[in-house]
Amino acid sequence: MTEALVVFVRAIISFFSLLIFARLLGKEQISQLTFFDYVNGITIGSIAATITTDLSSRAWPHWVGLLTWVALSYLMEIITMKSRYAAKFLEGEPTILIMNGKIMENVMRKMKLRAADVMELLRNRGVFDLNQVDFAILEPNGQLSVLRKPEHLPVTPKDMNIPVQPSGISTELIYDGIIFEENLRQMGKDRKWLMEQLNMHGISSAEEVFYASLNSDGSLYIDEYDDHIKKVTDIGDFKGPF
Amino acid sequence: MRKFMVAAIPVATLIVFILVMISGNFLKKPLGGDDDVPGSIEKTIRSVIDENWDEAGTMADQLQRAWDKVVARVQFSSERDEINALSMNLARLRGAIIAKDKSGALMELKEAYEHWEELGK
Repeated sequence: MTEALVVFVRAIISFFSLLIFARLLGKEQISQLTFFDYVNGITIGSIAATITTDLSSRAWPHWVGLLTWVALSYLMEIITMKSRYAAKFLEGEPTILIMNGKIMENVMRKMKLRAADVMELLRNRGVFDLNQVDFAILEPNGQLSVLRKPEHLPVTPKDMNIPVQPSGISTELIYDGIIFEENLRQMGKDRKWLMEQLNMHGISSAEEVFYASLNSDGSLYIDEYDDHIKKVTDIGDFKGPF
Repeated sequence: MRKFMVAAIPVATLIVFILVMISGNFLKKPLGGDDDVPGSIEKTIRSVIDENWDEAGTMADQLQRAWDKVVARVQFSSERDEINALSMNLARLRGAIIAKDKSGALMELKEAYEHWEELGK
């Protein structure tokens, strides 16, 4: 019996179990996680690690522990989705820290936040002057949402009555020299059109292109492998190869 | 079909994992003629009680071979502490048999049986 072989098999079990469970739990981004979600994730990961390397006990009880944590997390997700009250109770709710430009000291005390913490959160949102803030709301994930006073909001094309083109998302046409025929078809284009466009940019083959995308306004973004940059900007402090 | 496979593959994978993890209790049972650990323990106990030390030595060797076969099967589903403890019992048993120490040999055999019972549970 070799320990390494047992660890190898257990690692496969915990890795794929974790992968399947993570897919089951959904696609919440790290930035959307509440503090409890964060701790929950760490615990589940820790149990998976124990399954792999703790050979002093069987994998099965740890796996049951992992399954239980995942099942409870899933249950919480379902409950918070179905019940608005439960969601508020379990995940917390947004809290107004600044209302009409006034700091809510009592709320700050309750949330255990110092003025310096609020200033840091504001700076993270690009606000350096409290006079500019109309409302600041602390979200359950710990991030601050800031609404500036109308006089400090940036001017939009609508304010200036400037006509704008409708925006949209771009579609990948080439990646790593490979043409996506399906995307071309969806955009009502064909390979001939693409090659014509590439030729207009002095490119003879798709294999010379690292990335190309078609924007909704019909313009094409093309990045070649050969970037033809004469003066390279180096922001590193060291000359070395790393 | 594709939708079915997307659900079926993870479920099948989890079922295989569960079977691997809980297979210890089944796989420790004798599957052939020479991997009967509790049977070998019983025979060795009888030989030790009769103080037939030559036969006890042969039985202990047979027990070791049976144990080595079982370990290969149950290693993925059993706690290593129990496996190590039982292996240590067998090593001490051989010493007790050489020393013709009846009480020592019986203690090791009974403890080995206890570890066997707990293995993969």
